[in-house]
Amino acid sequence: MNASTTDLGLHRPAFLQEQFDDPLQQREAATLGMWVFLATEILFFGVLFASYTICRVLYPDGFAAASRHTDMLLGTIETAVLLTSSSLIALGVRAIKLGERRAAVALLLATAVLGSSFLVMHGFEYYREYTEHLVPGIDFLQPGVDARAIELFFCLYYFITGFHSLHVLIGVIVIVGVATRVAHGHFGPRRYTPPELTALYWHLVDIVWIFVYPLIYLVGRSG
Amino acid sequence: MSAVDAGVMPHSFLAGEDGLRQWLTTRDHKRIAILYGLGITFFFFLGGAAATLIRLNLITPQGALMGAETYNKAFTFHGVVMVWFFLIPSIPATLGNFLIPLMIGARDVAFPRLNLFSWYLYMAGGAFTVAALLAGGVDTGWTFYVPFSTLFSNSHVFLAVIGVFVSGFSSILTGLNFIVTIHTLRTPGMTWFRLPLFIWAMYAVSLVMVLATPVLAMTLALIALERGLGVGIFDPALGGDPLLFQHLFWFYSHPAVYIMILPAMGVVSEIISCFARRRVFGYRFMTYSMLAIAVIGFLVWGHHMFVSGQSVYASLVFSLLSFVVAVPSAIKVFNWTATLRKGDITFEAPMLYALGFVGLFMLGGLTGLMLAAPALDMPLHDTYFVIAHFHYVMVGGSVMAYLGGIHFWWPKLTGRRYPEAWARFAAILMFFGFNLTFFPQYILGYEGMPRRYHSYLPQFQVLNVLSSGGASILAIAYLLPIAYLLWSLRYGKPAGDNPWQARGLEWQTSSPPPTENFLRPPVVQDAYAYQEPAP
Amino acid sequence: MSSADTPHVTPARRYLWVLAALLTLLALSAGTAFLKLGPFNSIINLSVSVLKTLLVMAVFMHETGARNLTRLTSALGFIWLAMLLALSLLDFLTRAVLPAPW
Repeated sequence: MNASTTDLGLHRPAFLQEQFDDPLQQREAATLGMWVFLATEILFFGVLFASYTICRVLYPDGFAAASRHTDMLLGTIETAVLLTSSSLIALGVRAIKLGERRAAVALLLATAVLGSSFLVMHGFEYYREYTEHLVPGIDFLQPGVDARAIELFFCLYYFITGFHSLHVLIGVIVIVGVATRVAHGHFGPRRYTPPELTALYWHLVDIVWIFVYPLIYLVGRSG
Repeated sequence: MSAVDAGVMPHSFLAGEDGLRQWLTTRDHKRIAILYGLGITFFFFLGGAAATLIRLNLITPQGALMGAETYNKAFTFHGVVMVWFFLIPSIPATLGNFLIPLMIGARDVAFPRLNLFSWYLYMAGGAFTVAALLAGGVDTGWTFYVPFSTLFSNSHVFLAVIGVFVSGFSSILTGLNFIVTIHTLRTPGMTWFRLPLFIWAMYAVSLVMVLATPVLAMTLALIALERGLGVGIFDPALGGDPLLFQHLFWFYSHPAVYIMILPAMGVVSEIISCFARRRVFGYRFMTYSMLAIAVIGFLVWGHHMFVSGQSVYASLVFSLLSFVVAVPSAIKVFNWTATLRKGDITFEAPMLYALGFVGLFMLGGLTGLMLAAPALDMPLHDTYFVIAHFHYVMVGGSVMAYLGGIHFWWPKLTGRRYPEAWARFAAILMFFGFNLTFFPQYILGYEGMPRRYHSYLPQFQVLNVLSSGGASILAIAYLLPIAYLLWSLRYGKPAGDNPWQARGLEWQTSSPPPTENFLRPPVVQDAYAYQEPAP
Repeated sequence: MSSADTPHVTPARRYLWVLAALLTLLALSAGTAFLKLGPFNSIINLSVSVLKTLLVMAVFMHETGARNLTRLTSALGFIWLAMLLALSLLDFLTRAVLPAPW
């Protein structure tokens, strides 16, 4: 099954959709589509980051106090986990392009495992914060003059990390799906665009967390 | 290739698969455009019904029809439906979907299934909004200001917010689809600066949709969370700031008005060029202007907040930028006018709509500039002056351009011609009805009548009655096209491929086009070669 | 069937070096968080974040897409966020707080 080039009339591979003239055009379109989608994600998360920034400008001390309530160890480990998972998926896509099927599947599944471990660790964080009465709207009780600022911080914390975790979950599911299809030979040196684009999405999820980490976990740690 | 008997064209995208199921699972951008057209028309009349109630109520100073709460629900519903379910999708989702692949010589958009999904999201959002109405309505105004919407309103804010949230994704996906389509599916030879201005307009509007709508989505989500959980960042009692909501809301909602006007500008360029038989004056400036409007339009949102308690310095900056954003619009008005010069002008219905657009948009735009000056905005904010301003640009502007576009491309879409005399009559009636409805509102606002009140001081009655009278004329003018366009589907004269002798690739194929748009690959020509003889 | 079939790939080692750099930066930001550096804490942390992002984008996301277009697209996303932030902060930071007369 050859990939045809520019002319209609030559053999069209099964994965080539009707509106495209050739696989290269389809790949260009899909890739641009994913990048545009990633730009929208920057704005989705951006609203939350902007709200955080404005509130922190209004309550610098309160936010520092609030940040000290977060679990920095877990947060740091989670960051390391996501960074590693990004490198693994990059290696995985590389393996697909080289035709190294088994390595690719292993790397993709490892990425999914790391992503899942991120979610588990974050679940522990949420649980701990619940026991410490740090969940606004459900169970929030903090003493002191910074209480309102702490509540604001934790509102934003749950919005941002919750929204991010949703993205991680979707990413893990899609990566497992892609790994399955790699294992069955659907992707390889002749067709690797969907895994590539999945990896782009995963890198975005990583980038969001790269910014979440210092804003949530590292404020006011020096005392 | 010419369609003599349009209704029986063998390859027409309208022929063939005709069941409901085929329509609801179509991937054909032309059918999806029609699906959107039906939805948009439905919501237009729904929003129009709300407007009718409003104008009927305002015939007497005490409020002839409704008490305060019901009135609040009426104008909220009118705003929500007209903004998100009519104006924003109108030209892009119907004319854009139909024309973009045709104008660039492609077989379809880049992501046809995503396109259909966008329509379903639009309808789902609409369903939630109608549900909010049926459940008892929302009374916050289409702007959902906090703390009323989060803390104090007893109406169905949640349902309405979900409706808008869902429809926002329709916008985003449509914009994404258009951007990728225009970048990657242009036929060989169709370089960027050979694209019709309508395509540039679609591109610019897609940039705005893609960059602005996510912000709206998250802001609405934040309202829903605040309302649902009693927490959040907008409540002063909890340390939040209501102005944060306003910043986030208007960051989307101001560019939203450019979502509403940019496509109209694209349509008007095509129509004026065709019916003046002249190349558009200053093509490059027209493209740069549209991009400039799209970009600068993101930097002016604070002009909605001059009286909100926003810092004076921020107001200064926003005001200055608002003046700047008027410049590219003005350039476009100059260029449309210059296009007419020495033209061989005829006044078919599309041209009447387009010319009406230029005049009314200009009036609306100039009054916008007045509002952009904080000193003037102080007394005019939240008065009928603002209402008149935005109806001039959105209704006198966008709606007229939409109708002009519908008439211009009706033959291409359906293979039929509409009855020209009735269409001209409706256009002229609309122009008069519109001005009678909304010009008095400038004066009312200047005299101090506030907006969003179900009653008013007796001295405002005469102008209100004039305005309501104008609205009844406008209503007739809107109903007429429905009647004669539907009539034309069965009894209209067959259109032929190019009834207007227009340029542009869409006129190179049959009317209606075949499913794959072009039976032979189209030959890229100058889209504005009106001063040369037709090829 | 020939060289057209073998896509261009980044050497695996480069990915691993980038990972090492990312983890080092992470350690840097975590470590300096405990030092009392005033405003520099935030500056260091955000600079680290920006650097990490650039590394991920430049290396991990490198080969996917037409270079200029993808750079423009991602740049637009960040620039738009910056616009939202800058003009909103302009309001919040320049308000004159007038105390109540009572």
